[in-house]
Amino acid sequence: MTSSAAVAVGAVRVLGADALAPYVLTGRALLPEESAAVRLSLSALPPVQRPPAAPPDGRERPWLRAWIDWGLVAVAARLDPDPWCVAAPVPQGPPPCDDSAPRHRSADGAVGGEGWVPWSLRMGQLASLALPGLDGPVHQAARSGALALARGATRALLRRDFATAARITRWLAWLAADGVALPLDVALLTEDIALRGGDDRCLLDAAIARRLLGLEVPTT
Amino acid sequence: MSTALAGVAHDIRSRALGWLHTHRQLGALDGGDITGNTDGYKALAETGLAASLVLRDGTAGSRESALARELLDFSWAQLKEGALLYERLLRHPLATDTIEGYAHFARAGYRHPGLDRLIPHHAALGAAQVVEHVPNRRLAVANALRITGHDHGAGAPDWATSARATWLGGTPAPWCIDWMTGYHVTHTVFHLTDWGRQPGGLPGDMAAYLIRWLPVWTDIWTETCQWDLVGELLLVGSCLPAPYAEPDDWRRLAELQHADGLMPRDDQPVDDDTVTRFHDHQHTTIVAAIAATVALARALDAPAIGTPAAGAPGTPAP
Repeated sequence: MTSSAAVAVGAVRVLGADALAPYVLTGRALLPEESAAVRLSLSALPPVQRPPAAPPDGRERPWLRAWIDWGLVAVAARLDPDPWCVAAPVPQGPPPCDDSAPRHRSADGAVGGEGWVPWSLRMGQLASLALPGLDGPVHQAARSGALALARGATRALLRRDFATAARITRWLAWLAADGVALPLDVALLTEDIALRGGDDRCLLDAAIARRLLGLEVPTT
Repeated sequence: MSTALAGVAHDIRSRALGWLHTHRQLGALDGGDITGNTDGYKALAETGLAASLVLRDGTAGSRESALARELLDFSWAQLKEGALLYERLLRHPLATDTIEGYAHFARAGYRHPGLDRLIPHHAALGAAQVVEHVPNRRLAVANALRITGHDHGAGAPDWATSARATWLGGTPAPWCIDWMTGYHVTHTVFHLTDWGRQPGGLPGDMAAYLIRWLPVWTDIWTETCQWDLVGELLLVGSCLPAPYAEPDDWRRLAELQHADGLMPRDDQPVDDDTVTRFHDHQHTTIVAAIAATVALARALDAPAIGTPAAGAPGTPAP
């Protein structure tokens, strides 16, 4: 493996489907070298074939990894007509989080789910799935939790955790594109994060959210 | 609020009232004009507020009722049965704090004839509209006129306009809030609902907005240990048409409260000096007593949301 190929494999590993977001969002044809990088990454680090149960019951890290890999394989297969020899099974979806969820699971173990705070943080870690054309159990969970996501993004922004705010806002933008009514102005939220945040990952998420919202028209 | 949580709220209130009562002499005025000591007299009025709500809401036992009555008697005596408020309002016609402070005593039946002649006059002059207050403060004046019975005729408060002028009335982006604005929000709710007595006084869109975002604000100011503001936010939850309470918030407050009843305002060390302790943490302890008493009152008349054991309904759709 050359050093540039190693970098590409690493980038695909970190970004998941977002490595291909420019092609998804602009409709440009996938470049052969990009396709090769994704294939190399998936062959070097193949998706697990038996993902764990969804947290809080199952282990969080491998479950997140399995979903990120699923998103990458789903987007790559759509962009590249050549057959893919890598399969990524559909992991178990996250639990729903409706409007009556508490902030956190109650200390006395009462029913009511694990709470919108940890739920929205975990959804944020799956932000690379919030791309046009992807849909599945995670997206269905997002539809159940528009208020939980809006609260999570607002909480992150008030904590000046712009990276988390941007990731959760991706889901709100995806829901807006899906026609779901939202309890806040997600365009203003996205602009706020883009203007006040600043690191590259945050700006990438904000840029994708803008595209989902139709705030930037593709130039090609 | 579940029965178990009502027990927690009851304990918080009982201990807070005991602490305020034990240390009440530390809040005594040094006599004479209150204009030179507005902070001291406002603290007495806030003590009167807490005590008047304990008596108003009818959830107190005989011990707590006696403590509340004695706190009111003490504070009212410090204000020379209202004479100090009267003299201040006479000399400073725009000092609406006198009307606001008087209302807490009037609520519990303490009246001053001179004030009851002067206040309607100032109401007619536009006390609730023309003084250059921040918007939520105008609601404080309006509520004081309502409580004292001087909210009709010329100069009657324009509730709708005043409510809409506040930060909350604009239902802005929920992240456009800071610590001070948090207090503006809580006080907007307190005055519109008369401290939880009439939750319907909150316009529907403002109530829906609070149901969505109050949990977020409670979370971030809990994380930063701003217990004074957190106490006020819990009180806001009890003022909503469908009260909002999460069990852990109340348990946390109970754990934070000192054995003698002091409620710390934040996570900084509490001073050992009795006088410093009193002045630093009196407001937060008053807030705790009020939050608990309104929570108890609402527990008697409405199911809570955010308390799964109560079979909570969902919030309205966005």
